[in-house]
Amino acid sequence: MARIILQHSESALDTAKKQTLSMGFVSDKDLLKKRSGKYFDVIAGLDAKSLTNTQGMEKLMSAIQEEFGTAESASLPLGIVSKCFLGHPYEVHTLDLSGSQIIKHYKINEPMEADFEKARTLAKHNAYSMVEIYKDKIILIREDGTATKL
Amino acid sequence: MSQQVISYADLSVINSALRSISADMSGVHSELGTLNFKQDLLENELTKLADSFADFVNADIKHKSLQLAETRQGNLKQDLQIKFGYYAELRRMATGILQSVDVGIVGDDTLRFTTEEVMIKAPGYWLAPALVALAAWIRDDRRTNEKALTEALKRDDYKTTLFFLLLMRRLQRNDASLKWLERYFMHQNPHHLDREFIVILEAVTTGVFPPAARQFMMTNVKSWLDQLTQGDLFINEQKIQWIRFFKTLGPLSDGKYPLLGKFSTNWELLEISLREAKAHEVISDHFKSIVAASADFSKSTKVQLDEILSLLVTNFDDEELPLQEQVRLNQLIIQMDGDKSAAQAVMAAEKDIFSEKVDFLQLLTNASFNPELSGVTKVTQSLAVSISQPWITEAYNTYTAQSRNSIPQNIELNIDSFKASTINGSDETELIEKQNTYYQNVLKIDLGKLSFPYEGVIIGALICMGSIWAFTLSVVAGLIGLGIGGVLIWNGINKHAKAKRKIIEDLEERKRKANEVLRGCIAEAVDYRIEHTTEDVKAELALQLLTSIIPEDFSSVSRETARNII
Repeated sequence: MARIILQHSESALDTAKKQTLSMGFVSDKDLLKKRSGKYFDVIAGLDAKSLTNTQGMEKLMSAIQEEFGTAESASLPLGIVSKCFLGHPYEVHTLDLSGSQIIKHYKINEPMEADFEKARTLAKHNAYSMVEIYKDKIILIREDGTATKL
Repeated sequence: MSQQVISYADLSVINSALRSISADMSGVHSELGTLNFKQDLLENELTKLADSFADFVNADIKHKSLQLAETRQGNLKQDLQIKFGYYAELRRMATGILQSVDVGIVGDDTLRFTTEEVMIKAPGYWLAPALVALAAWIRDDRRTNEKALTEALKRDDYKTTLFFLLLMRRLQRNDASLKWLERYFMHQNPHHLDREFIVILEAVTTGVFPPAARQFMMTNVKSWLDQLTQGDLFINEQKIQWIRFFKTLGPLSDGKYPLLGKFSTNWELLEISLREAKAHEVISDHFKSIVAASADFSKSTKVQLDEILSLLVTNFDDEELPLQEQVRLNQLIIQMDGDKSAAQAVMAAEKDIFSEKVDFLQLLTNASFNPELSGVTKVTQSLAVSISQPWITEAYNTYTAQSRNSIPQNIELNIDSFKASTINGSDETELIEKQNTYYQNVLKIDLGKLSFPYEGVIIGALICMGSIWAFTLSVVAGLIGLGIGGVLIWNGINKHAKAKRKIIEDLEERKRKANEVLRGCIAEAVDYRIEHTTEDVKAELALQLLTSIIPEDFSSVSRETARNII
C-alpha cells in the first residue's frame, strides 16, 4: 500500500485557524512573545511619578499600544501590576489600562480590585518584573522580557 | 316452641365440629408448609438444572466454536498458502539473499535467476522487484536495477524506501542511504508518525547514518515543528503533560516540621507548597543528567535497525492482512478454549497497539519522559528534550508561577484554641504577648465560672449571729455556736481559695506548655520560610539550565559519537 507523500490536509485547517485569529482569538504564541526593552523602560519608569500629567500618560499608552501592536483596548491587558519601589509601606502599584488609566500605589494589606488582587503575590515575587492582567488570565513578565501565561 | 329449642340447643356438637375443623386446618397448614418446602427444593433443583443446562449450552457453543476455529484455521492457512504462498517463500529468500550478500558466497547468476523467477511467481508483491533490483545492483546491472526499482516503488513506495534505506545503511553506502532517508522522511506525516520512526530518529541521532543525515533530519524536524506549533492545540497538550510531570517530581515530606504539622491549620497547603518548591532541584538534576548523557549507543541501534529490516521482509503485507487477522482470531479462539468474545477482546487490544500512531511532538515527549519505554537511548532523549526545549521551558515557567502563586501567605496556628497567624515568624514577641492576653482572658472566664461559696458563708454568718444572741443565755453555747459558724465560714472561703489556686496553677501550666509550643512553631515557621525561599530560588537556576539547552548544543555530542563510528 503506497502512502501519500507529504499530506497537506492539515494545512487547510491552518488557514481556517488564521481566520479566527483576526476575529479576536489570540494565540499563545502571540501572547507569550518576548516583551521589548522599550516597553520595560516605560513600565519601570512608573515609580518615578513622571507620568502624572496627561501628556505622559498618552505617551505611556502609545508605547503600550505599540508593544501589543493594536490600538483596540479589547486586546490590551486590563492593567499591569508590578512591585512598587517607593519603599515601605508601599508594596505594589497598578496601572489601569481599561478606561481610567491611572497609576495607583498600594500599601501592605491594602486591598486591590479583584482582578488585580489575584496577581499580587506574583507581582511581589522578585523573579517577575510585572504582571499583565487580562480578564481570563494573567501574564507574568520576567526581567529579560519572557512571558508566562497563568 | 322456638324458645325451647334455643334453651336446649346443644352447642357442644358445633364446638367439637369447629375444633375438628381447626385441627384439620392446622393439618392443612402443615401440609402447605411441607408443600412450600418441597416447592423451594424443586425450584432449587430447577435452577441448578437450568444453570447446568446453560453451562452445557455454553460449553457446547465453546466446543463448537473451538472445532469451527480449528477447521477454519486450517482452511485459512490453506487459503493463505494458495494465495500468498510465494510471499512467504519470497520473505525467506529475502533474508537468505541479505545473508548471502553479507558473506558473499552466492554467484550473481543464481541470484539473478532466483529473483527473476520469484518476480513471475509473486505478482503484485513489492518485495519481488525489490529483490530483483538488489540482485541487479550487486552485479552492476543498472538498467534492470532501475526498472525493478521503479516497479517496487510503484507497488509499495513506503516499504521499498524503508527496505533500501536499511539495506544501504547496512552495506555502508552513505550517499545512497542518505537519499533513501530523504525519501523516507517525505513519507512521514508529523501528525501520524509510524512506530518505527523513533528507531530511525534514534539511528540518525546516534550517528548510525552519515553525519549529513543528521543535518537533513534537523532541517526536516524544524519544518515539522513549524507545522505543528502553528496552532496552540498540540503545543498546549505537551505543556500540560510536562506540568503534570513536574508536579510528580516533588519529594515527599521528611517530617522536618513536626510542630507546624500538628498545630498549623493550613499545614497541608504549606506542605504541598514546600514540596512544589523542592521539586525545582529534582527537575534541574533530571535535565542535567539527560543533557550530560553522551555514551555511544549506536551498536544497539544497529541491531534494532536490522530487526526492523527483518521484520519488514518477514512481516505480513497489507493484502494478506485480512486473512492473517482471521488466522490470528481463530488461533486466539483455540487458545481461549473456544471463548470467542475473549479472543475478540485480545484481538482488539493487539490491533490498537500496532496501529498506534503519534504526532511528532508527542513522540518527542514520550522519548523525553521514558526513553526505555519508547525504545530509545539517552542520546535520543536528550535530542528530544533539546527539540522540545521551548515548550518545556514554557511549561516549567507556568509550573513555577503556579506554585509561587499558591504559596500560603500566612501560617495559621491553633494552639490550645489560641488562634494566631504569622507570615514568617518575625512577630514572635507580639504573638507571645497575644497568647499571654489570651490566657489572662481564659483565666478571667474560668475564675468567673467559679462561684463564691455564699451558702456556707451565709449559714456560718447566721450561726455566728445566732450564737452572739446565745451569749445572753449561755456563754458556752455562744462560744460553741461562734466556733461552728467560724469553721463553716473558714471552710467555705478556704475551699474557694483552693479551687481558685488550682485553676490558676493549671492555667499557668497550660500557658507554659502553649508558650513553648508557640515558640517552637515560630522557630519552625522561620525555618520553613527560609527553606522555602532557598528552594524557590533554585527555580531560577533550573530555568537557566533549561534555556541553555539548544539542539545545536546537543548535536556536538552526537557528532562526537558519529566520529567514533566513522
